[in-house]
Amino acid sequence: MRRSDEARREILSAIRENLTRSARGREPRGIAPGSAELGKPTADPGPAARGSKERGDVVSSFTEQLAAVGAQWTVVRGATEAAHALAGILTAAGARRVAGSDAPLVQRLVSGLGDGFVRESLEGLSRDGLFACDAGVTTAQWGIAETGTLVLESAREKNRLLSLVPPIHVALLSTSCICDSLGDALARVSRASHAITLITGPSRTSDIELTLVVGVHGPQAVHVLLLEEEP
Amino acid sequence: MTFDRHARAALADGQLRGALRQATTLFGERRQAALATAPDWEGARDRARAIKDETLLHLDRYLDEFSANAERAGARVHWARDAAEACEVIGRIAEQRGARTVVKSKSMASEEIHLNAALTARGIEPIETDLGEYIVQLAGETPSHIVVPAIHKTKRQIAALFAAKLGIELSDDVATLTGAARQALRRRFAEAELGVSGVNFAVAETGTILILENEGNARLTTSLPRTHVALMGIEKVIPRFADLEVFLQLLPRSGTGQALTAYQSLLTGVKQRPEDEGPAELHIVLLDNGRSRMLAAPVTRQSLACIRCGACLNACPVYRQIGGHAYGSVYPGPIGAVLTPQLFGLGRSPELPYASSLCGACRDVCPVKIDIPALLLHLRAEVVATRAGKQRALERLAFAGYAAVMARPRLFEWLVRAARMLRVMPPLGAWTKWRDLRPLAPRSFREQWRAGLSGKAP
Amino acid sequence: MRVSLFVTCLADQLWPAAGVGAVEVLRRVGCAVEFDERQTCCGQPAFNTGYRPEACSLARRLIEIFESSGADAIVSPSGSCTAMLHHYEQLFEDAGWRARARAVAQRTHELSAFLVNRLGVEDVGASFRGRLTWHDACHGLRDLGIKDEPRRLLRHVRGAELVELPPPGAETCCGFGGTFAVKYPEISVAILDEKVDAIERAGVDAVVSGDASCLMQIGGRLSRRGSSVRALHLAEVLASTL
Repeated sequence: MRRSDEARREILSAIRENLTRSARGREPRGIAPGSAELGKPTADPGPAARGSKERGDVVSSFTEQLAAVGAQWTVVRGATEAAHALAGILTAAGARRVAGSDAPLVQRLVSGLGDGFVRESLEGLSRDGLFACDAGVTTAQWGIAETGTLVLESAREKNRLLSLVPPIHVALLSTSCICDSLGDALARVSRASHAITLITGPSRTSDIELTLVVGVHGPQAVHVLLLEEEP
Repeated sequence: MTFDRHARAALADGQLRGALRQATTLFGERRQAALATAPDWEGARDRARAIKDETLLHLDRYLDEFSANAERAGARVHWARDAAEACEVIGRIAEQRGARTVVKSKSMASEEIHLNAALTARGIEPIETDLGEYIVQLAGETPSHIVVPAIHKTKRQIAALFAAKLGIELSDDVATLTGAARQALRRRFAEAELGVSGVNFAVAETGTILILENEGNARLTTSLPRTHVALMGIEKVIPRFADLEVFLQLLPRSGTGQALTAYQSLLTGVKQRPEDEGPAELHIVLLDNGRSRMLAAPVTRQSLACIRCGACLNACPVYRQIGGHAYGSVYPGPIGAVLTPQLFGLGRSPELPYASSLCGACRDVCPVKIDIPALLLHLRAEVVATRAGKQRALERLAFAGYAAVMARPRLFEWLVRAARMLRVMPPLGAWTKWRDLRPLAPRSFREQWRAGLSGKAP
Repeated sequence: MRVSLFVTCLADQLWPAAGVGAVEVLRRVGCAVEFDERQTCCGQPAFNTGYRPEACSLARRLIEIFESSGADAIVSPSGSCTAMLHHYEQLFEDAGWRARARAVAQRTHELSAFLVNRLGVEDVGASFRGRLTWHDACHGLRDLGIKDEPRRLLRHVRGAELVELPPPGAETCCGFGGTFAVKYPEISVAILDEKVDAIERAGVDAVVSGDASCLMQIGGRLSRRGSSVRALHLAEVLASTL
């Protein structure tokens, strides 16, 4: 630790010295950083300010973007529809071993799955067990309409590994939690979360001859179950 | 001159040139299309540059703020003055935690400090997990592009490589090859005791580090192993959490033409309770390694605004022809040509600032408006002033002569007329080997002016 | 309107038709043209290669020459040399010289920008039969923002058909880059060949540009490759009344 303290002192001192040196010189002409106010949020004033944007518009922007980034989505009303949709998605994908997060709704849905599935709980799931899962089910705390992004917060749910390791990720998201923009979402997330994960579609790479392959280290498929508000 | 030799080798490699042409063209088109979906692209560039400028002018303060907040959230922050110190810190952490294998996600800084060699020397096996970096590591090569490190390899070459190193059957199918890499690496993720990642942005206000990616390997690297080490250059810090938005608007679009990459991980300290998910320890290594020196002048300070998007590589007519290896550095292309001499010394690569036609395409596409041509010109002046380059004596003489002649218009005219009459031209084999040389005009403009073009009698 | 011509050393000795054409066109649109014979080089080769003191001495000289001119504008048939003049300010530490550099720069214009933006003229009464394509010289394009102006002028040339270059396009560098062309000739020519390929694909009679340096680079390779495509300076085409 002592060596790091010494390094810190030297680095900070080097920074200050060099900044002082540069203050004696002239600013080069040409690049004006603009009259932009620092830290000012972007053009998006947020849903409260906008007011007029319909919830329906936000949801349809969101689902449009989900499709564009290669995620699947199903709108469901209530837990029963969600359970039915979940079973359908898993069956169609041939997923048998399913693990659900600690979110109460997920627990209900996963435990309600029929005997055709092997239901794992996150509690006591070994590393090998995790890697053997075919699908992970979590909720998402927020959605971002402009990019079709899911926002997962570690402070709210144990969703980090289940949304990453199994090749299929099913996420339940309430339509009332869809924000317009990234800036919007960043303003809403809890700083108490030590891990906030933004997920936009399945994992992908173009590293080999620029050919797109969907499904690399992260999930190959992302399904979003959009829970509509009860009127 | 190593650059010369490597550039010529690259130019002779038809397959490489085809791959580079395709990649740079495609990325350019995707970037162009992505700009259209950005709300106020130019405004975003200006805002981002302003944030970077503000941060760099108070870098000491922001680094301290970041460090304090990161530690308050449970991370340990280490400061490293140079590559050796950073390798020592990380090596020690790995050893102390009994790590035999280390999984790594994309980190250019880790290549800069030669971390893999340092770990290997301690008997620790570093495993690159980004597909392109993995391929390059298996091949014993270095990356040739910031975003697509293995762009110089064909799928056939990769298939042969995987067949040899992973024991799989030869296959022409890219999805199959990718699947093989996924399979091989999955166990490594599960077993590694330590994960090393880079950092795209570090937020001073909250002590948060942000890592962007498409593959999911960075998430695996930073959430499965018990210990996570995040290595970052000191220039990665930005002031506020809200500032992330503008950079996330600029970076994915500039780098790959995406509005957002598949994953962004925002990591602040470590978990509060042992039963929560994620590493028990987070070590953040702040690397100087020559960056603080760049703060000494406004023109060089802007080098530190770089967000490593790779857009300048894709726009550069020189990079398009020769690729990344010719630059002989972890940082290739236009930004590499200015970072490499500044980080590693002008003496090591005095020719890099000259490996450019100064066209300015890089400046056009840089999301934070770094004036790379101005930087190149500044470094060229440094090379001349400090005599960093070899074989400069003849050139100095030539330019001294040129200045003396151009100060004397009559002498200038006389010399040209003499050259024209005697049919003497300077030895320009470097021109005439490929291009016809336009002869000196039989009557120069000024001769024609005097002969009547002026309107006055000659 | 009194114009002082900044002909550039390259055009003077290697492409005088650019200078002659510029004079012709400027007079046609009603300018009186002066030429101060004391001018030689703006210092760009020295500046670009890192020889700042040498560039400075030539800059001071040229500033003094143009200061002494009472002309309304200084006009040059070269985007890169005009851009160099606009960069002069950055060469000096002394506030006095910076102000003088700025003052001269403010009066200095590249030919097409002068005609279109200062004089508001797009039709200079030119005729030229043939298919033409335009090459955007880098400094003119990116330092001075010249893109539209030459195209407007060329579109008014009677008998000329203007086509845009196919990818990689008109905006891509020709690979000259000053001493780069002889320091790294293989790279320079590799870049150049992509441009020349595009020019040949365009099926034109001539490639036109506003910088003699680019024309030498492109023209030199076109002829070496046995092409019949000519390389012409903008001023030559605009002066043409064939």
